[in-house]
Amino acid sequence: MNVEITSLTRRFGSVTAVAGVDLLTGPGVFGLLGPNGAGKTSLLRMMATAMPPSSGSLRLLGRDPGSYGARREIRRRLGYLPQNPGYYPGFTVTEYVEYFALLKEVPSARVRAAVATAIDRVELGDRRKSRLRTLSGGMVRRVGIAQAIVNEPELLLLDEPTAGLDPEQRVAFRALLRDLGQRATVVVSTHLVEDVAAACAEVALMDRGRIVFQGTPGALAARSGGQDPGDTPIERGYSAVLAQARS
Amino acid sequence: MTAATRVPAASRPRLVGRRPGLALLRLLRLELRHNAMPWVLPIAIGLFWLTTYRKGVAMPPLWNLRAAGLQLGAQLDFAVPVTGAAAWMGSREARRRVTDQVTVTVQPRWARLLAPWAATTIWAMLAYLGCTAVLYGVTAHQASWGGPLWWPAAVAAASLPAFSALGFVLGTFLPGRFTAPLAAIAAFFVLTLSTELIHGSQSYWNVSPIVTGPWDLGPQAGVATFYPFLPDLPIAQVMFLVGLTVALLGTLALPAGSGGRALRMVAAGLTGAGLLAAGTAVGLAGTGTMDAHGMIAIPALHDAASDQPLQFTPTCSHTAIPVCLNPAYAGYLSVTATALAPLLSQVAGLPGAPTRIVQDAMIYQQDAGDEVSIRPRSPGDILSSPVSHLVLPDQTQGQTMTAGQLASTVITTYGLQLVARVTGDGPGASQAQHAVAAALLRAAGGDEVIVTQPTSGPCRGPASAPSTRRSGPGRECASQSVGAARGTPAAAAAERFDALSAPVRHAWLVRHLAALRAGLVTLAELP
Repeated sequence: MNVEITSLTRRFGSVTAVAGVDLLTGPGVFGLLGPNGAGKTSLLRMMATAMPPSSGSLRLLGRDPGSYGARREIRRRLGYLPQNPGYYPGFTVTEYVEYFALLKEVPSARVRAAVATAIDRVELGDRRKSRLRTLSGGMVRRVGIAQAIVNEPELLLLDEPTAGLDPEQRVAFRALLRDLGQRATVVVSTHLVEDVAAACAEVALMDRGRIVFQGTPGALAARSGGQDPGDTPIERGYSAVLAQARS
Repeated sequence: MTAATRVPAASRPRLVGRRPGLALLRLLRLELRHNAMPWVLPIAIGLFWLTTYRKGVAMPPLWNLRAAGLQLGAQLDFAVPVTGAAAWMGSREARRRVTDQVTVTVQPRWARLLAPWAATTIWAMLAYLGCTAVLYGVTAHQASWGGPLWWPAAVAAASLPAFSALGFVLGTFLPGRFTAPLAAIAAFFVLTLSTELIHGSQSYWNVSPIVTGPWDLGPQAGVATFYPFLPDLPIAQVMFLVGLTVALLGTLALPAGSGGRALRMVAAGLTGAGLLAAGTAVGLAGTGTMDAHGMIAIPALHDAASDQPLQFTPTCSHTAIPVCLNPAYAGYLSVTATALAPLLSQVAGLPGAPTRIVQDAMIYQQDAGDEVSIRPRSPGDILSSPVSHLVLPDQTQGQTMTAGQLASTVITTYGLQLVARVTGDGPGASQAQHAVAAALLRAAGGDEVIVTQPTSGPCRGPASAPSTRRSGPGRECASQSVGAARGTPAAAAAERFDALSAPVRHAWLVRHLAALRAGLVTLAELP
């Protein structure tokens, strides 16, 4: 298992964003679903070692990120795309991805090839010399994905990665996710359930800081009672589980 | 939970192809390419040209003046923009909302932040060094003697990393779009106000990098021309700036999460060491006092060898009495010798006239309060001495005169001194001595020479070079006059004596000078 979470809690003052989450996952694409404010981003930020938990146990890639040495080793093998990724508008696509490759200590001899590969995988090869300020929102999001995968991470955490992507790009991105999931643990946080259905082998549904469902997309779809709102079975299952958790 | 998962995944090979130094260089290259400093460099260079270069080249081509102007001006021109640019770069991660993305990378926060700071500093330093090279290159082309003074340039250079670090730390810990302009404005006021509390030559505030010497004295052309430049204060200033830089950069790694325990301990150690160095430098600067040569001497840093006069071969004129100047003042020789030539031809060979006129150094003394006394090194001309001492006006006034102003001032100061020496004119002299002195001065300087009765007052000295008292930069009083007041019988006699031809005047003086000096000649006996 690359992610082992036990009773993980994160509080911001009096607000409990993540309330005692337990989660185990290994290689493959794992979907994290939930409405806005469910705690998905807080959970992902803790998994990315960007924020320490208030309590509970967190082991990533077999290590406890509480110590600096282990945290560095985890980060060496980690990729992270935040929900609202900023960027340096003056950098070109290549420079920006190279910047992160250097920060992630990708071996010098491999930096150029790793950057080119990452850019090609998000299909921005023809824009590699474009400055980020000239790119559309969807392209910038793909640059963010490229920086996250430039070090060929074993644990990839993507927070709303398909926001701003057009349908064609989303289809391509799902294929990329499936490909990445063959070698790494990919955790995708999203509120777009169709992405989960298409790309994820396992999903968890969060609500009010807790995981209220964990299983396959098919199992989630099967929770639908037929009367629940939604256009697809998985959306109806999503609504049914949320309604049940809140009742 | 699966038991097998308790075994950590194997670490990736760390050494194969991983060269941290090369990676940091590539990071630095990226930061150099995308730094804010090049955008403000035109402003800095423009300010340098406007406020430092133009003023510098308008000053006499003396290394000490140009170096002091560089130290003061270049810091204001470059330190303020670099502070703003560094604050902008320091706040970049927060402004651009990339904090989370970069936080979860492998590089320690310290190394990540040092790259943009270094890039900002390198740009500023390159521009500063270029501007310094131009100013010093022009000075080397114009100066007749001496060489570049590197310590003042080093102080200005050391201030750039310090102000860059200050701005960067402000930007990092207080990120915002207004941080950069506020930091730049703060840097300007910190620099300019840092000298406000200096009273006298001994002050802890002398550590301010824009202090180039005793603050009450202002720029002095004569300083570091006859005696070596004292590096005492610049050493303390560089020590202060380096300490400040190290301490500020150390603080970047102090917050939790900036790195491992060892890294943070190193940072804490560096911060402490930097503060200690800066504090020591402040303490050293506070022990400095103005020495007799117009520079700040710090006992703990002072090299006694610096108190020995510089050895040089003077540049001399071919006038009736040779005028010999310090070679640094060779550019003044022509005007000085031309101004004095008519007078020298009148007095050459007379009893009491010197056979050689040599430029003298000045001696500085801190008086009570902010006042500084300046007097020639030689106490005054001795009649029997074949050497007379000359002080050029620019040596004490610290400003450029036109050739006409210089000639006029040389006549009214040194010319007057020489005439007084030869005729014995001065307080208590006879009317005939006043008249002859006035006539000689008129013959030497024409209508430009203002001849008045000898005055009395605190600034009056013996019949030698003027003594000057300064109370803060630029303020002074100086007076010395010999001759006859207009409308008096002595003035009428002076006009009569002046109307004689030069050979006749000279011949009369050869015959009657001893009697004139003894007060035995009356106005009526003057031809």
